[in-house]
Amino acid sequence: MYLNNSILSPSLFRMAGAKCLLSFIEVDMLAYTVKRLFTLIPTLLSASILVFLFVHLIPGDPAAILLGDTATPEEVAQLSAEMGFDRPLATQYFLWLGNVLQGDLGISIFFREPVLSVIASGAETSILLASMTMVWIILFGLPIGVLSATKHGTWVDQVTSSGAMLAASVPTFWLGLYLIMIFSVTLGWFPSSGFPSLSDDGGIANLRYLLLPSLTLAAPNAALIVRLVRASMLDVAREDHVRTARAKGLHPVRVTIKHVFRNALIAVAAAFGFTFAALISEAVVTETVFSLPGIGRLVVQSILRRDYPVIQGVILVIVVLYMVVNLLVDLAYARLDPRVSLK
Amino acid sequence: MKLKIWMRSALAVGALMSLTTGALAGGMLRYATVGEPPSLDQQVITSDLATTIAHHMFEGLYTFNASNAPVPLLASGETVSKDGKTIVISLRKGVQFHNGQAMTSADVLASLQRWGEFGSRGSLIFDHVASVEATGDYEITLNLKEPFGPWKNLMAFINGGPAIHPASIMTGATKEPIAPENYIGTGPYKFNAWEANRYVELVSFDDYVSPSGKADGYGGARVAEFDTLRFIPVPDVGTRIAGVRAGDYDYAESIPGDLFAELDADVGVKTMLNGGPIFGLVFLNSSDGPLKENFALRRAIQTAIDKTPALQVAIGPEGLWRANGSFAPEGSVWATTSGTENYSKGDAEAAKSMAAAAGYDGQPIKFMVSTNYPFHYDSAIVYTKQLAQAGFNIDLQVYDWATLIEKRAQPDQWDLFFTHHGFVPDPILISVMNDNYPGWWATPEKKALKDRFTASSDPAERQEIWADIQALIYDQVPTMKTGDVYTYNIASPKLSGLGEQTLIWPSFWNVSK
Repeated sequence: MYLNNSILSPSLFRMAGAKCLLSFIEVDMLAYTVKRLFTLIPTLLSASILVFLFVHLIPGDPAAILLGDTATPEEVAQLSAEMGFDRPLATQYFLWLGNVLQGDLGISIFFREPVLSVIASGAETSILLASMTMVWIILFGLPIGVLSATKHGTWVDQVTSSGAMLAASVPTFWLGLYLIMIFSVTLGWFPSSGFPSLSDDGGIANLRYLLLPSLTLAAPNAALIVRLVRASMLDVAREDHVRTARAKGLHPVRVTIKHVFRNALIAVAAAFGFTFAALISEAVVTETVFSLPGIGRLVVQSILRRDYPVIQGVILVIVVLYMVVNLLVDLAYARLDPRVSLK
Repeated sequence: MKLKIWMRSALAVGALMSLTTGALAGGMLRYATVGEPPSLDQQVITSDLATTIAHHMFEGLYTFNASNAPVPLLASGETVSKDGKTIVISLRKGVQFHNGQAMTSADVLASLQRWGEFGSRGSLIFDHVASVEATGDYEITLNLKEPFGPWKNLMAFINGGPAIHPASIMTGATKEPIAPENYIGTGPYKFNAWEANRYVELVSFDDYVSPSGKADGYGGARVAEFDTLRFIPVPDVGTRIAGVRAGDYDYAESIPGDLFAELDADVGVKTMLNGGPIFGLVFLNSSDGPLKENFALRRAIQTAIDKTPALQVAIGPEGLWRANGSFAPEGSVWATTSGTENYSKGDAEAAKSMAAAAGYDGQPIKFMVSTNYPFHYDSAIVYTKQLAQAGFNIDLQVYDWATLIEKRAQPDQWDLFFTHHGFVPDPILISVMNDNYPGWWATPEKKALKDRFTASSDPAERQEIWADIQALIYDQVPTMKTGDVYTYNIASPKLSGLGEQTLIWPSFWNVSK
């Protein structure tokens, strides 16, 4: 009885309409996502050719690095041939591509283990580090940015803006070393460096190794978010709909949160996406200072040692990461701003 | 509600803080390395870092005592025929590999054969070997084509040397380094894990059979006091130092010279000088370009350079370097002053007239250096200025190390390049003695002296011939020694048994915490 009445009620008609609209948007989003995923294929193929050429055309031979300074050119050539690097570049590329299509990124020349496993080991550190850093950015960057915008022109704004500029200007290697000196050497609260896997002894407690590095990485990135939130909120605050909301007599906090902050988030969402991707792939200085086995350091070391399979594998993974982040940012735009069309 | 959230937060922070204590693991030595080794296969890899790790796992027939004299390790002794052409080496019995298999002459034979054919330094001895055979379960016989004096020194030098592995691993092994799953040796520690970018870990080998006798250098009794040795790549030097001070590491390598005074005065760390110095070398191209066969022009370049300012700039404190022209360091039996009057003249005017007399017309001289090693680059900057003052047109080309190694293999790409050399116990192991090493110094005068040097087994005679070879190096200038550099490491004061200085590579048997 209740059910029948409910079905006939006008409010439920509105809900059903909204649901239909939602599912229409979701179908639209799904179609868009599938379409974008298909465009990944030619992009990845082009990236693979570029990466392969870039890696193989720079001078240097992994065989020479392996054998060391005392090796003669003949010995280097002998090992290079044993490893298959004397074959034509096109042959090497198609062999590699064939393996990649079967999910095999090859074997690291130096670690002698599958590239996927080397990347996975680095990815654990990088993803955890980036996630922890994002937590600090959200915890510090967003509230301080909102505070700075709402107190625009006051001493609070000046202090937060100056603090953000300072945090953005401090070199991460300097900040990292000082955090180590204070919190590891002097106070002995945190480990100075390294990161055992969560699957090692210590388990989840090993996250303490990432506390100082994530704070180091968060400082400049949170500062940028503070500036971005402040600028976006000040822009939105000048728009007509905000003036209307104020004129209607809405509480200032409600205007700030619902009408200003929410709309300002559209610009911030993209920054969050690309910051996360950059934290995974480009945190090489922090990873070096804290001796973290992350992706950034893996790329640099592999380039220096000409570990071709690892360089190619990691760069392909980073390309995919950026493309996926780009897609997610576009989808987030559509969610946050109804004016954005996915077509 | 708010109070609850704050209490929860405080508890979470407290829990996190409590977890920060107790970072040290009992029975584990944590060694902060400058990077990761390319491989641990000692037969083909000559990286010092690889040897620092691997010589705890792999052993050869001989090793060096504290005086750098070869002493038996897996061998128990040897007899050499009167004509010096037949060497019969007896092996210790009861030695076990890490896989539980007993070591016999079949394993030693297979290891020597692979090293002779593919090992980095194997050809130095195997060019003189007619045959090698197992003449008993615990006996190996080397039949030489002619007497070869440095055979035992070469056998004892584990870096690029004849590490002994089971025959099953050595049979079919080539120039390509063996894989980690085949890191089976006879040493006091055995391979456990290599986590990319995290650590290389060795664990004590319970069935280790130690050589007898008092520990002396790398010789004598070896005891694995630690349960685990963990070698952790820590590329930033500031972090390595802070890690030792904070107690996160027990030992850290490759510390810059300019921090020596501060660290030496710090009671929280112990500085460990490496007894065997490394030395910089600037190779000159004997195969192509303006320096080919123009010994007079090479001598002009040598005359223009004063090595001391470069050592001051590149290394720093005087205790860490010696402007020593002898290719062997002070105190070594091979140290000689022969030819060293030309080591560091720094006479720009004399160099200018010598260059003119040698027909130098100002053409560019390509000088390759890498920034991967700061002391190479800093020294090269000083040399370039000194050479310019003497009228040389130096084209300084700065590369990363991988590129430099590739370019130096092409004779038309360079005229000078900077590298460095580790301490070696016998001059035959110095790279300039290898005719095929880039620079390609292979004159008839060198060949005559080298043949005599390798054929002699008499130590006094060999020292005299080496003095003649060093004089020839200063005359034909295939390379210029830049000076001795005493690198140093730092250790936790809690470590005992380290001694006062490192022989060549740090070793952690007979060391405890």
